[in-house]
Amino acid sequence: MNTIEIDRLTKDYGRGRGVFDLTFSVAQGEAFGFLGPNGAGKTTTIRHLMGFSRPQSGSCRIGGLDCLTQSPKIQKDLGYIPGEIALPDEMTGLEFLRFLARYRGVSDFSRAEALMARFELDPRGRIRRMSKGMKQKVGIVCAFMHDPAVLVLDEPTSGLDPLMQNRFIELVLEEKARGKTILLSSHMFEEVERTCDRVGILRQGKLAAVEGVDRLKADRRRTYVVSFESEGEAAAFAADAPGVKGTRGRRVTVEVAGPFGPFTAALARHPVTGLEEVRLTLEELFLHYYGEGK
Amino acid sequence: MRLSLFREGHRSSWKLLVIFAAVLSLYISMITTMFDPEMGNILQQLSDSMPQLMAMVGMQNPGTTLVSFLSTYLYGMLLLAFPLVYEAITANRLVARQVERGSMAYLLAAPSSRTQVALTQASVLLTGTALLIGYCTGLGVLCAHLFFPGELDVSAFLLLNAGLLLLHFAVSGICFFASCLCNEGRTASLLGAGIPVLFLLMQMLSNMGGKLENLKYANLFTLFDPAGLIAGESSALWGLPVLAALGALLYGLGVWVFSRRDLPL
Repeated sequence: MNTIEIDRLTKDYGRGRGVFDLTFSVAQGEAFGFLGPNGAGKTTTIRHLMGFSRPQSGSCRIGGLDCLTQSPKIQKDLGYIPGEIALPDEMTGLEFLRFLARYRGVSDFSRAEALMARFELDPRGRIRRMSKGMKQKVGIVCAFMHDPAVLVLDEPTSGLDPLMQNRFIELVLEEKARGKTILLSSHMFEEVERTCDRVGILRQGKLAAVEGVDRLKADRRRTYVVSFESEGEAAAFAADAPGVKGTRGRRVTVEVAGPFGPFTAALARHPVTGLEEVRLTLEELFLHYYGEGK
Repeated sequence: MRLSLFREGHRSSWKLLVIFAAVLSLYISMITTMFDPEMGNILQQLSDSMPQLMAMVGMQNPGTTLVSFLSTYLYGMLLLAFPLVYEAITANRLVARQVERGSMAYLLAAPSSRTQVALTQASVLLTGTALLIGYCTGLGVLCAHLFFPGELDVSAFLLLNAGLLLLHFAVSGICFFASCLCNEGRTASLLGAGIPVLFLLMQMLSNMGGKLENLKYANLFTLFDPAGLIAGESSALWGLPVLAALGALLYGLGVWVFSRRDLPL
């Protein structure tokens, strides 16, 4: 059964911005990654799921309810992290969380407290004085404190340090294990790779592809930069190793597709001084999967 | 209506209300003490020496009773302008600014419909306005009783204030509608405060008489006629239901437009 259904959704903001004839669905209990560069239409789609925008054509449904007209019913069991957290400045974090709990009709504040402890959030300060990361943590507590069945998370880890990003990913995985339906938008592949079952790649308001994460991982080539003491050693390695993409001074770029054996064997034969993985940007990943020409 | 949101709205705006109440307290108590039924007072001399200026701010023909004196000096300008500023600021804070900043997302990402949110914010503005006008009324009665016991025609004064309340119901309706309509606080202020201020300026011009007097036929503030209300003129009384209807219409439109439109959240 599909919990989130987007059917031929179109919203044209002009100049190529918006979403166009977008159709996809997220099954109950599934975690769906929503990838795309900035301006691809991720937030526009989420705006429609939240009922903030009226579709030009097409429709969005969550749990069988129309996102525009039946939003209050949907929101009862939905947790949302906006792409840009905006909290009322003049309140303290705790005041805001308590207000939101009352406003939502959540009588049990213990889950909120557990979440604050988990993310090491001290909510007593004024929101105005909070760093971006702290505000993001408040936003996370807001989205999860009523234990919703559906989670719509728009770039939820922006502003968090790597430790907290990890904790967030663990939280998402736990929620997934508890059967929650998750839509997670991101422009970072790693975040989606670790949490989601399927990934939809959005480009210029259109869904370019929907893939299983396993498939993406299996296909994925990795790029490494290997460093040496001298240019001569680098040149010798470049002549010997498989998948060499280029040499710049004492650094050699190697792309590994498939088994690592030949690459690690070549590394062992040469006096390597440094090895680092080049993280793929989303654009590179994109080109990689959909051809240089597109 | 969401009670928790209603409380939060007042929690965040009571300081502003107190400031405006304090400023108006000063004016009300001061002007009441200046009433002097016995002799032609300083204000009358002022009015004689620069009739146009005093007419512009509605301060002419103060009459000889306390209620007409108060209606001239308080209800011609001060009690129109100050509550207007309060209403414009509060209306802006309750809706437009929250949409602009994005914090409105939290109010809508909850089991409340947009209509409920808008109605709640409207009721915060309405109760705030009513509290301010109610306070001014009470203070006026109190000051009159303290300084000039028995001088005030209380029923005429209450009718005058009922008119003022309905005027501000309509004026705050303009502010609220603008706040619901606009994505940005600045545009909302420009419309919501700008239109009533324009009406006020038009009233000042038409008070000066001459050809400009005709401006009053295109002015919301004309529907509130202090002198007419005190005299019990039927034309003045007819203004009241019209103001009430306009206010209800503007608030209704605000709620309607907010529940229908695309929000940039």
